[in-house]
Amino acid sequence: MNGSRLNSGMKRGDGDDVDGHDPVAWREGFQVGLPTLFGLVAWGMVVGVAMVKSGLTVLQASVMTLVVYSGSAQLASLPLIAAGAPIGVIFATAFVVNLRFVIFSALLAPHFSHLPLFQRFYLGHISGDLTTALFLQRYPRTAPERGKLSFLKALLYPTWIAWQAGTFVGIFLGSAVPAEWQLGFAGTLAILCILVPLIINSAALCGVLVAAIVSVLAHGLPYKLGLLVAVLAGMSTAIAIEEARGRRKVRHG
Amino acid sequence: MADWDIWAVIAVLGVATACTRSALWMVGHRVTIPRRVQEMLRYAPACALAAIVAPDFMLGPQGDVQLAVTNPKLLAGIAALAYYLWRRNMLQTIVIGMLVFTVLRVSDVFH
Repeated sequence: MNGSRLNSGMKRGDGDDVDGHDPVAWREGFQVGLPTLFGLVAWGMVVGVAMVKSGLTVLQASVMTLVVYSGSAQLASLPLIAAGAPIGVIFATAFVVNLRFVIFSALLAPHFSHLPLFQRFYLGHISGDLTTALFLQRYPRTAPERGKLSFLKALLYPTWIAWQAGTFVGIFLGSAVPAEWQLGFAGTLAILCILVPLIINSAALCGVLVAAIVSVLAHGLPYKLGLLVAVLAGMSTAIAIEEARGRRKVRHG
Repeated sequence: MADWDIWAVIAVLGVATACTRSALWMVGHRVTIPRRVQEMLRYAPACALAAIVAPDFMLGPQGDVQLAVTNPKLLAGIAALAYYLWRRNMLQTIVIGMLVFTVLRVSDVFH
């Protein structure tokens, strides 16, 4: 054990192989991520159940979770699929729901800009909120450093496995449970829990309230366009309040 | 929705994930997002998620607005929201919300 530590210590700093496997960093990353895995399995189960309860076949739900790998976007698309909304509306909704990942990828990607293109693509694709936060706690600086990649992989891969495993359990569990239990409602409750931490200030709160009210009132619009109208109304409200606050600060600042 | 449509939807959802998660990784060099833009990138998902769940909490099966206390989904949603604000635990919140919803639905207390 001492030998491997010494070995990795010697390699540190020579710069040739900063991305080589580093067992110490891997173990550290795995231990940091471990406590989150149980929650991920359960959260995957909720999404799995919601997918089959909204009418997807077992095969469709399985492929969806492998291809999309975004619980919030998957949950958001389900009522739209069930209502037969146009594909453009479904894409726009999932895209907007996922916009928050742009922030995380802007923080994480500079650490690994030297990697090959395809590797950057798939590492980005499987980086979620939680893993990004845990990684940045350990490595706040973007300079290449030995062990970084191993640490990231030790966060990402187990997370991916835990989520997929949970989802598949949910898919099969969901197809065994009768429809009148209305387990799909668990998906709605899950979205509620993702939504609350995104309300970062009073502008966001007003935007969310406006979006909620408009979506209920505009529910009857064809092609589920009420949803997009609601998002635009909520966004405009939040931005308007933000602007007003900014001006006030300047005047009194 | 036809089978073929659902496969197409799954494909474009994959694109939505790739665009938002991988795009900046592909760009390669550092991109700094101004603080204002960052806030908007949070407002948008919050609004979208609110717009998705609100009808499920507030509309009846026929698409009629139901804000009375006789709507089990609305009550369960309020209970779940309160619990989440208190404990900040997603899974417990889902369990509590489903429990309230199921008890109200099965016992049918309001009918």
